[in-house]
Amino acid sequence: MKTLRKLILGETWILPLGITAVVLVTALVVKPLMGDAWEQAGGFVLLAGACAVLLLSTR
Amino acid sequence: MTFVLVALGAGVAVAVELVEALAIVLAVAVSRRWSDALIGATGAVIACAVLAVVLGPVLLESVPLDTLRVVIGFLLLLFGLEWLRKGTLRLAGRRARSSSVAEFAETQEELEDVPLPPPGQADWPGRIVAFKGVLLEGVEVVIIVAALASRPSGPAPALLGAGLACVAVVGAGAWVRKPLARVPETELKWGVGVLLSSFGVFFLAEGLHVEWPGSDAAVLYIVAALAAVSQLQIHRLARA
Repeated sequence: MKTLRKLILGETWILPLGITAVVLVTALVVKPLMGDAWEQAGGFVLLAGACAVLLLSTR
Repeated sequence: MTFVLVALGAGVAVAVELVEALAIVLAVAVSRRWSDALIGATGAVIACAVLAVVLGPVLLESVPLDTLRVVIGFLLLLFGLEWLRKGTLRLAGRRARSSSVAEFAETQEELEDVPLPPPGQADWPGRIVAFKGVLLEGVEVVIIVAALASRPSGPAPALLGAGLACVAVVGAGAWVRKPLARVPETELKWGVGVLLSSFGVFFLAEGLHVEWPGSDAAVLYIVAALAAVSQLQIHRLARA
């Protein structure tokens, strides 16, 4: 079970929690706030979030 | 362009996972018996094939397109960032480099104290170690390839990359019959991490109705951005 958890979630909880937080905040908060600009710029918000999670997990 | 990048991502991901599985099977074969190592490995390959047959159609047929993109993106980002995190720490000297040779030695050590049954009797410890090693690496391969193959534009590039990687690694293993010591695993895994994470961000955004400037070519600047952030972090950690 421990091996399976490690396989799916990895070695640290920062990644699954961080990615989930980025997706939820982006989809539920940032997207409605950005309005029409979302279509063109929303991807860069997600990219910035992924970079932030990477930096946080490698401190 | 996306075809090549997906094939490359799937191919390299499958290759590095297979090298690790190969190291375990070879360790069992060399220190125990070839027949038992192959029986264990074959059992795991069958289990992975069953998982692939179930997972692929379920993803493709039962999930709406946008939801599918979000699920694929999330999975790829989860796997990709894990590989990228480890690669960043390894290249910065913060953890040991990835090595199938070390895995080979660990597996041999694991079986060292277990007596080998006489010829004609099944070597269950050897079979189980080979089965477990191939299964764990194989499940990761199945999830990555199934996610990349479930793209709306079709499974061809992911399956092509995975197929070529299988032929290359199994062929190399049969030829050298020892772990592939010269493969720069750490750098390859870092590269796979960048590619998988990039596809993750790309699909996730598409699932949330983003239209990337440059369409499919956006994958290129996402790759560049993630690689640059990781390299900056590697230099920062290495200096600290």
